[in-house]
Amino acid sequence: MLLAVLIANSEGNILVERFNGVPAEERLHWRSFLVKLGADNLGGVKNEDQLVACHKSVYIVYSVLGDVSIFVVGKDEYDELALAEALFVINTAVKDACGKPPTERLFLDKYGKICLCLDEIVWKGLLENTDKDRIKRLIRLKPPI
Amino acid sequence: MAQPLVKKDDDRDDEVEYSPFLGIEKGAVLQEARVFNDPQLDPRRCSQVITKLLYLLNQGETFTKVEATEVFFSVTKLFQAKDLGLRRMVYLIIKELSPSADEVIIVTSSLMKDMNSKTDMYRANAIRVLCRITDGTLLTQIERYLKQAIVDKNPVVASAALVSGIHLLQTNPEIVKRWSNEVQEAVQSRAALVQFHALALLHQIRQNDRLAVSKLVTSLTKGTVRSPLAQCLLIRYTSQVIRESSMNNQTGDRPFYDYLEACLRNKAEMVIFEAARAITELSGVTNRELTPAITVLQLFLSSSKPVLRFAAVRTLNKVAMTHPMAVTNCNIDMESLISDQNRSIATLAITTLLKTGNESSVDRLMKQITNFMSDIADEFKIVVVEAIRSLCLKFPLKYRSLMNFLSNILREEGGFDYKKAIVDSIVILIRDIPDAKENGLLHLCEFIEDCEFTYLSTQILHFLGIEGPKTSDPSKYIRYIYNRVILENATVRASAVSTLAKFGAMVDSLKPRIFVLLRRCLFDSDDEVRDRATLYLNMLEGDGAIVETDKDVKNFLFGSLDVPLVNLETSLKNYVSVPRELAVSLCIVQCLLAYSHVFVQYRFKNLQTSLLILILLPKEVKSLPLAEKKAPGKKPTGLGAAPTAPTSTVDAYEKLLSSIPEFSSFGKLFKSSAPVELTEAETEYAVNAVKHIFDRHVVTVIVDASDAEEFTEVSTKPLRSLPYDSPGQTFVVFEKPEGVPTVGKFSNMLKFIVKEVDPTTGEAEEDGVEDEYQLEDLEVVAADYVLNVGVSNFRNAWESMGPDFERVDEYGLGPRESLAEAVNTVIGLLGMQPCEGTEVVPNNSRSHTCLLSGVFMGNVKVLVRLSFGIDGPKEVAMKLAVRSEDESISDAIHEIVASG
Repeated sequence: MLLAVLIANSEGNILVERFNGVPAEERLHWRSFLVKLGADNLGGVKNEDQLVACHKSVYIVYSVLGDVSIFVVGKDEYDELALAEALFVINTAVKDACGKPPTERLFLDKYGKICLCLDEIVWKGLLENTDKDRIKRLIRLKPPI
Repeated sequence: MAQPLVKKDDDRDDEVEYSPFLGIEKGAVLQEARVFNDPQLDPRRCSQVITKLLYLLNQGETFTKVEATEVFFSVTKLFQAKDLGLRRMVYLIIKELSPSADEVIIVTSSLMKDMNSKTDMYRANAIRVLCRITDGTLLTQIERYLKQAIVDKNPVVASAALVSGIHLLQTNPEIVKRWSNEVQEAVQSRAALVQFHALALLHQIRQNDRLAVSKLVTSLTKGTVRSPLAQCLLIRYTSQVIRESSMNNQTGDRPFYDYLEACLRNKAEMVIFEAARAITELSGVTNRELTPAITVLQLFLSSSKPVLRFAAVRTLNKVAMTHPMAVTNCNIDMESLISDQNRSIATLAITTLLKTGNESSVDRLMKQITNFMSDIADEFKIVVVEAIRSLCLKFPLKYRSLMNFLSNILREEGGFDYKKAIVDSIVILIRDIPDAKENGLLHLCEFIEDCEFTYLSTQILHFLGIEGPKTSDPSKYIRYIYNRVILENATVRASAVSTLAKFGAMVDSLKPRIFVLLRRCLFDSDDEVRDRATLYLNMLEGDGAIVETDKDVKNFLFGSLDVPLVNLETSLKNYVSVPRELAVSLCIVQCLLAYSHVFVQYRFKNLQTSLLILILLPKEVKSLPLAEKKAPGKKPTGLGAAPTAPTSTVDAYEKLLSSIPEFSSFGKLFKSSAPVELTEAETEYAVNAVKHIFDRHVVTVIVDASDAEEFTEVSTKPLRSLPYDSPGQTFVVFEKPEGVPTVGKFSNMLKFIVKEVDPTTGEAEEDGVEDEYQLEDLEVVAADYVLNVGVSNFRNAWESMGPDFERVDEYGLGPRESLAEAVNTVIGLLGMQPCEGTEVVPNNSRSHTCLLSGVFMGNVKVLVRLSFGIDGPKEVAMKLAVRSEDESISDAIHEIVASG
């Protein structure tokens, strides 16, 4: 299960968070844990360079893209490699939607589009689409080529 | 939670950038959502409002039921619009709003229409939305379309249906299981993702059918699964099949190994890694099987991708636990990972190296780790400290450099858990490596000179008190201890006083000087410190006022409480939670007994107060019936229940029995059995019996002892009267040869006179009717003479018992249902305590070793090692090895088994 996709700005404020199968009372804990993880490790990291960590039996793969940091959390079959795949797609889709690694403003300008992309990529904790061109068409309701 | 975002972007331009959602408010957005109802829809505007709604939801904002319903109804109007972008947003917002069941109906028809639309994308999205919001009843209506969609030629539609299937399987498994054929077809799809989703769903549908999964794996491993993600799934399913089939495979060939090995040459890294991990996790994997997997993992260690490095080192770390030698080839690559920017990778690399390193590489490794420790978080440091502790126990000769490392990091900054991990490690090393003791104690002494954690200071002081006096020069620790009395808080000062006293008790040459220091503590500002100092001074000065001998002093200072502290704490809390006068005298004792507390009272001569220590008993043991007569069908449930705290029950029984003058001369009660029911449930009379074993006597309710020849009836204590619906007890005492585990069977008869009671006066009439009631037989078995007392470490206990009185023999147990049944029978026969969970026999085991411990009558410790083996026709053979403190007891255990 892909437990969470979380996108935060450089100050640690949450821009997008989607949890799947995480009890509501644990979400706050995850949110602060991820933000701290990012604050501790993402300084000076290049765009889209993926970092990895594990917490108990849960894996976290995360990266920075422009002004935002993106975290994906998973367990069981969504181990570090599957998460890396998911994060790669998310990074590409966000970059594609914004035309470049986004500033926070640009990210928020394209917020609707990004939500659609995430909806195509992860659906209730399962990885659904991984091809950026296909995702680009799907969010406009165009069939894939 | 996000704040409204105002962010200045200095690097790019000086213009202030405002968030498009600055000042966004739920109420205003809900107002804006009215545009959905406009007759002339503005798709762009509507999309913006939906984006705002999504933003609010993503920020954790919640809508009330009314608000959500209103927005949902408005959104459904948007199905009229033909704009594709808006339609896509509508699908998303409906999913996010997750409307309630009664609202769903509004949108169902629109979605059903979309599901049959010629536009593929409408179909795919409508399926996803419907499956998200639907319930079982609607699902049966749309099932036909879903089955079609699974085999749709458009991969997006097929994937949508398949992923929906995976979700729906949790809520409506019967329906989804009917799609098996379509899903099977989709597995063969040319589209990679369809294959991936179909395989996942097919496996979930069939996961409880081992044969079907095996067939699925067999067919797919031969064919071509294109998607790397699907390949990974297939590898996982294959490992599962291998795990389940290996038990039945006697030939030694591992099925599907070739497939896994071939996957190591796949071009997708994900697949290579999955296969390598699967190979390393094979049960009983051989070095030959392991080598190719380790080779690819080694390559991944130097990958440019952190995720691959992490995955590889994580897997190697696991392999190092079982096959450390197989991983040593990767040590050089792993050493370079110590400086990895990603700290999770570095920590895993270090702990793996610590597991696989040899004695000669320890020093080099420690040097590398020292640089690394300063820039990682405490949680990683703790992992490293634990790994170093294990390494030191593995290479005791290297204790000096490892201990120095630990003491160095102890001086650095760090939180409580980290410091505790270090202190614990040093304590363990001191205990296990005698040479490390003095060095280690000095490190701890230096640490408490500047320790901010009271808990750790007191722990170390306690440990110093035990180990310090045994060193070659105990005097050198006194300075550190007394410094605590001068410099620390009251808790630490009190601890330091106790430690000083221990030195005084153990080291005669230090005694006069310790007295001087303790006398200074008499002027401490804290009560506890002064009290301790007074008590210890009085004890140590040895005028016999408090304790009479040197041995008593040491017992008091060093003896353990012998009570689980948790129980003690609970009891005390319970006790103080009930307001009552705490006068120190026997009345408390009785009062406590009434509350089912068993207690020990330490009394010190000439002390005005006595030290009262309460001990355990969470469960009430108020009534101790040996026989009772009750109204039909009204059997009390509590009486027959086995008590959870055996020692306390025994104490309570003992108290009861010793209160009866006839039994007071029998000596100490050895064991009381759990109550044995002598009547069937729901009968007219409910009787149960408890066997109390003394050295020479058995007390029970017995009437006829014809099958128990070695027992001689000594006395009976009949019950004078037993009012209706109340329990009562009667006793029969038998004498048996002393020290011999005599067994026998007694048949029982309840003989009584029934008398009518006048309800007005409550008095019984004079005449009654004699009656008899046949009871079940009661057996006294060998297990009644053994107390089931466990040991924490069987191997240590076994070694320390020594082979002097060991008796070994083999027995054939005949055909048995299963190995587990045979093991349980023997455990029951001996009545001993299984140790270390060895009473559990793994399924399908052909052999099993069970460890038992106990105390035989006469307080003789007994340890038993049972080795079982079962052959084809379920014939069980058993080897019984017994060690005890007494030769005759070892023989007696063999006799029990031989005659059982």
